[in-house]
Amino acid sequence: MSADMNRQMSHQSEASSMGSDCDSSEDLDEDTEKFYYIDTTDDLDLDCPSKTDDPEYFEYEPLQLIDAERMMNEEIEALCMKLKVNPSTAKMLLLRHNWKKEEIIDNYQRDPSGFLVDTHLASRRKHDNLVGQRPVCSVCCSEYARDRFVGVACGHMFCRDCWDMHFQTQIRDGVTTGIECMAKECPVLVTEDFVYKVLSDSKLRDKYSKFSFNDLIKSHPKLRFCPGADCSVIIKAKELKAKKVECHSCKITFCFKCGLSYHAPTECDVIKRWLTKCEDDSETANYISAHTKDCPKCHVCIEKNGGCNHMQCPECKYDFCWMCLGDWKSHGSEYYECSRYKENPNIANESVHVQAREALKKYLFYYERWENHAKSLQLEETTTSKITARIQEKVMNNQGTWIDWQYLLKAAALLKKCRYTLQYTYPYAYYLDNRKDLFEYQQAQLEAEVENLSWKVERAEITDRGELENQMDVAEKRRLTLLKDFLEV
Amino acid sequence: MAQKRIKKELQDLGKDPPTNCSAGPVGDDLFQWQATILGPNDSPYAQGVFFLTINFPTDYPFKPPKVAFTTRIYHPNINSNGSICLDILRSQWSPALTISKVLLSICSLLTDPNPDDPLVPEIARIYKTDREKYNKMAREWTQKYAQ
Repeated sequence: MSADMNRQMSHQSEASSMGSDCDSSEDLDEDTEKFYYIDTTDDLDLDCPSKTDDPEYFEYEPLQLIDAERMMNEEIEALCMKLKVNPSTAKMLLLRHNWKKEEIIDNYQRDPSGFLVDTHLASRRKHDNLVGQRPVCSVCCSEYARDRFVGVACGHMFCRDCWDMHFQTQIRDGVTTGIECMAKECPVLVTEDFVYKVLSDSKLRDKYSKFSFNDLIKSHPKLRFCPGADCSVIIKAKELKAKKVECHSCKITFCFKCGLSYHAPTECDVIKRWLTKCEDDSETANYISAHTKDCPKCHVCIEKNGGCNHMQCPECKYDFCWMCLGDWKSHGSEYYECSRYKENPNIANESVHVQAREALKKYLFYYERWENHAKSLQLEETTTSKITARIQEKVMNNQGTWIDWQYLLKAAALLKKCRYTLQYTYPYAYYLDNRKDLFEYQQAQLEAEVENLSWKVERAEITDRGELENQMDVAEKRRLTLLKDFLEV
Repeated sequence: MAQKRIKKELQDLGKDPPTNCSAGPVGDDLFQWQATILGPNDSPYAQGVFFLTINFPTDYPFKPPKVAFTTRIYHPNINSNGSICLDILRSQWSPALTISKVLLSICSLLTDPNPDDPLVPEIARIYKTDREKYNKMAREWTQKYAQ
């Protein structure tokens, strides 16, 4: 154990000297750091960056179903008053036009009937398909008295029983606010007042109300359901933006705009393309990028069991980078090249076959890094639980109080945050055309600092506290710089 | 409800059959029909007799009938199982539509295939790029399977 510690010690000092190579302004010599050890804790203030400084800042609040319902009802009522329409029509107008009130009011006041036709809430001409005193319903072919026939704004009349059956079938298929008139090629929508008037089954009435409420929320630009499993929280934000939201109830973090896992600096449509691509190609990629690699020096087979990409061969003690298998020493230098994909400069003149291979190579390059950081994130989860256990142990042995060791957990949390952003820089880089050099430079800087931080967090007990906190600060600064420059605000 | 409606449709088909089409129950079961379509004259399917099966769901006409070819046919929107890619048989179904109207739509699909929404991409590609080859293949299949 102690021999092991010594080895790690000697290594750690090497790592720290490399870390300081990266940016001499952040450099502090060993002695100064010992003084810093005591009182730097609160200077860092990493958790609450101010509004203007933080590119990820986003204002939102969690709502319960009932609050969201009240909020929407107020908006519906206001529109009813303004346009003098009934609540069901107002609801449908808002839903169909994504709650753009000003636009709805403008369009309605300019041409009320035309606007209702465009929204499928009326038809150009009023139909009348009833003949004689006892007309035949064209759906069930039964004859009824005229008062059995009902219909919506288009005037197509069918018997009550047929409408009832129509609603039942549609609701069972999950259609609610989109239910249309039964007539052939008639797009006129059925509003909720008519559904409630006709629908007989009480269970289906409940279903209708639940599903149409979901449709209302989905159409509202300021409201989003938390995508967590069985979570009923609704998030309300000031605007529809691709920003990070954390649900206070189920602790899941997601992008407010698209509901996927938070993906800065990549944009919503880009991350969707990337994830689909990964799904399609992952078999090949999995096959090609194996889970183990050989030591570049002594060729012993190494399995990666920690999050840090700075590897040391257990056999020959060679320090190398897990990603590019290059010497780790060169990674510490000013230009960290491992995250940069080198395109074949002559690609346009190559054959289709070579181009295809090059395209796969490029994809695999980014996919490998994306996957690798995802795996590292998972592995670092275990580091966090190890740290928690060790803190417990230390406190029990009277080595400081629980509060004294909190900085270790802070470091682990920050590492997670930085690596998460780093992971999502790869899909961004894959589809990137403009400002590629600057992006790759900043990505490389972030990557280097994340790996330095990871190395130090994994060896937290033998890393000086000041040094660790310094590294935290540097890594977070790199992350924020990248986001400020590249996150669409 | 379904039974009454199906009976009514059967009556109407007898009184006023759509051109080039016929349809009726296979046995005693009112919900299982067979239909025939004669290949339209202005299409490569001319002189072919195509058989189809029609299954009415119990919640007909609120759900669409299931219609499929039993005769093989070379067409971009009809696959080797006889499945037909036609909007009114899926999303655009309306309870006011009838079998007669469905059969007429299938007839016009034979005259005017919809290669932009293909069920058999290979046939759609040939239809778009080499119309002569498509006509030839469709005629050959009609002779082989539908005469």
